[in-house]
Amino acid sequence: MKEKITIKGELRDLFELRRLTHERPQRIRAASSRPQGPPPINALARRIHPAAQQLEIVAVRDETRAARTFRLAPDADAGATRCAVFRAGQYLSLKVDINGVRITRPYSICSSPDDALNGRFYEITIRRKEGGFLTEHIWNSWGEGTKIEASGPCGFFYYEPLRDSADLVGLAGGSGITPFRSLMKDITANHPDARMTLLCGVRNAQEKMFAREFRDLSRESGGRVKAYFVASEPDGDWDGPTGFLTADLITSLAGPPEGKTFFICGPQPMYNFLDKELAAFNLPRRRVRREVFGELTDVTVFEDYPRELAGETFEIIVHAGRRVLTVPAKATESILVSLERAGLNPPSQCRSGECGFCNTILLNGGIFVSPENDGRRKAGIKYGYFHPCSSYPVSDLEIKLNPAVHAG
Amino acid sequence: MGERKEEPRFDASYDAVVVGAGNGGLGAGLALAVNGARPLVLEQHNIPGGFATSFVRGRFEFDVSLHELSDVGPDDRKGGVRKFLDDEAGLRIDWMRVPEAYRLILTGQDMNVRVPFGVREFIDCIEAEVPGSREAVTRYMNLCQDIYDTFGYLGRGGKPGPARMARDFAGFLKNASNPIKDARDLFVHAGNFLRSAPYTVAEVHDALGLPGRAEKIISPYWCYMGIPMDRLGFPIWAGMLVSYLTQGAYVPRCRSQEMTMAMESRIRELGGQIEYNTRVARILTKKGRVTGVVTADGHTIRTDHVIANASPNLVFGSMMDPAEVPTQAMKLVNARRVAASGFVVYMGLDAGPDELGITDYGYFIAEDMNTREQYDAVGALGPTKMQAATCLNRVVPDCSPPGTTILCITILHMPEAWYTVKPADYVKTKNDIAAALIKQFEEATGVAVRERIEEIEVATPVTFARYTGAFDGGIYGYEPDVWDSVPARIMHLQNERFVKGLEFAGGFALMGHGYSPSLLSGRAAALATLAQMGVKS
Repeated sequence: MKEKITIKGELRDLFELRRLTHERPQRIRAASSRPQGPPPINALARRIHPAAQQLEIVAVRDETRAARTFRLAPDADAGATRCAVFRAGQYLSLKVDINGVRITRPYSICSSPDDALNGRFYEITIRRKEGGFLTEHIWNSWGEGTKIEASGPCGFFYYEPLRDSADLVGLAGGSGITPFRSLMKDITANHPDARMTLLCGVRNAQEKMFAREFRDLSRESGGRVKAYFVASEPDGDWDGPTGFLTADLITSLAGPPEGKTFFICGPQPMYNFLDKELAAFNLPRRRVRREVFGELTDVTVFEDYPRELAGETFEIIVHAGRRVLTVPAKATESILVSLERAGLNPPSQCRSGECGFCNTILLNGGIFVSPENDGRRKAGIKYGYFHPCSSYPVSDLEIKLNPAVHAG
Repeated sequence: MGERKEEPRFDASYDAVVVGAGNGGLGAGLALAVNGARPLVLEQHNIPGGFATSFVRGRFEFDVSLHELSDVGPDDRKGGVRKFLDDEAGLRIDWMRVPEAYRLILTGQDMNVRVPFGVREFIDCIEAEVPGSREAVTRYMNLCQDIYDTFGYLGRGGKPGPARMARDFAGFLKNASNPIKDARDLFVHAGNFLRSAPYTVAEVHDALGLPGRAEKIISPYWCYMGIPMDRLGFPIWAGMLVSYLTQGAYVPRCRSQEMTMAMESRIRELGGQIEYNTRVARILTKKGRVTGVVTADGHTIRTDHVIANASPNLVFGSMMDPAEVPTQAMKLVNARRVAASGFVVYMGLDAGPDELGITDYGYFIAEDMNTREQYDAVGALGPTKMQAATCLNRVVPDCSPPGTTILCITILHMPEAWYTVKPADYVKTKNDIAAALIKQFEEATGVAVRERIEEIEVATPVTFARYTGAFDGGIYGYEPDVWDSVPARIMHLQNERFVKGLEFAGGFALMGHGYSPSLLSGRAAALATLAQMGVKS
């Protein structure tokens, strides 16, 4: 038999039931009937992480014969007044319409976070690719006054003092140099305890960019940041280091690797090369940060890729809500590209399997997922969620596609 | 390009539209689909789960918010959640049992104790720490058990409950099949419930004369409720404590995302439709009845039934035509207080838990256990006075690669604490708090964490608002003061259905916040909706 328990006395306990029966209606009666204003934290979230930013090109300058910097400021015509703050090393995903096909491209921000805050602009530097249909389009049509829709700042390639040692080494190849301009500016201005030695691999002097700015930053920071350009195909009058970013070269320019954190940004082949070189340093994984490099240039290089399929074109049945349509998909093109080509305006940001923005559900069929860019969740693998930007069809597919995010 | 059938994205109308695919919305969608209705679930994010989701950094996958689910229970004694998900919906979720209730470390009280599950083990543990406490703690646990049993008794449907009896004796008589027997039953079954329901936990603890040091060991779960013991209604506390101690706690093997993806997948299999990146901007009503919803990208969808996995603050404050919002609904919103949000430090460490010396899954760490002081600290922008840390490897050993560890530290933060933070200072603000929390953990446990961090991410109320759209980033619904405790909500439920065809699910709904109440509130909202539709479930 269970014990009868009274709290403050039997009658008192019954009387106190009024707290449940009467207090609530009383409080409701006493409350205001005016709607509350919008919640401040949600407003702050939209300022820090806007779904979209309406920008306008306000200045253009050539860094080299094949690299051009665009300064992007809030598009006043669209009512935009500021740039979302970012962490040096982050990127913007730009939306570009080419002949009615809407695609996205991630570009590292190369200006400093202080510029976004005070000067209210971002800068991105784009390298022109031979025969690249997008950069061709950009060179032909982007100029002052061009309107650009961008995502909020995204990505994880930033200096994180909670995690990284303050002694940093940057290794850049090709357009991988761009986030380092931002990082070096930020370290100079905002991280007085940190140092960074940057090694930029270039082919020759014509590819050097930001060299004078890096010299200025080095002076300004009292030598805490410095940059070296390393030419693999030096011209006759090249007076800097030459060759590739080998372990020996890295040690000779940046000092012994112990206790340092390495930041690497460049094209896919550079990572393969550096993986081997850095192995000699025997660094803990936490001391090597790699920026994602966008879509694969060639999926067939992976050992597990079924090369016999490389020439195939498959069919994808796409469910977009109740709509059902079919689109062709080349085996060696990412599924994201096939969806974009079909004019479906699929959502995407990093194009590297990392951000999850393009999440899609595989209903039927088989895919090959790039082992270098497989950012799927464990449960996602179990329930068919995949990232079209880093996945390739190996059969006809049936998928459930999300619509693009509506910025409103 | 192949043929393109120009069908619209949506059907013209649906049995019911569920707004949001968090725990509550998925619970609702699932219960609707299982019972043969065809719901449309609309979610603004790109995956299901709301707070019940995960994210990947490097070689680690972190759960966003789950510490542990209550009301799951072992296979042979299933709790409500497991009955719903396993038995009713036929899901196969790989539930992993949490080994101990918690390790409590009170640095200023020389207390470091591993508290086990099981009521007897719990009492033994407290007796070992606080000799002489057994009698008082046993009596206390008996009362808690009685409250827990009474929830079960009242939940078994159709019984004229103490709520009705207290409010409306005539109604009680009218609804009782045998008034004298029912009244007697009620006092037999619910006497202690009736006598303790109006009180706060602190009042009950005082009345029962719990030794102070025993009370410290009993109290850390307060942080799952979000308000201090001198405000928290006793029944819901007692129910939670007994639920954890008797049924244990569980997590899905592949993070909470495993559960929410399993649910969403089943909803689609059963003919329900779910659309992501699709925010509901407005709920349409006419003369106090739901008539449809409008999405942010302009689709109007007809339905007579909406289950909102969004707060009444949002629904009545910005999603409905102001002229259609009943005054009482707005007043109730304004009378309630949105509870705490959270602040979480997620870490992937590059050494295994044994090497690091992390022995337990769940840690509650504080200088002392004073829930009033701890609650007051939650309103300030700082590391606060109590942290809850989890090491997932202690439940799911292979949750991260060999030789690594997942460690997460959580504190509560009121949204207001972040109101004045400027975007330019945001990262530094959160990093300073994270650094202080890591230091707290290191000092309390003697485990060196800082030098082993391979991945780290820090979430704030802003982060939660960003991904879920939750009102002010709140993760705990409304504060469950006595007047807004679950019994009080149930008691007034009939008067607080303000719009016909509109039900609420999730942390802001009837049963309060937390994974299990949110899931089951979705189920309850679905059953209420089915009843309105005339579907027998």
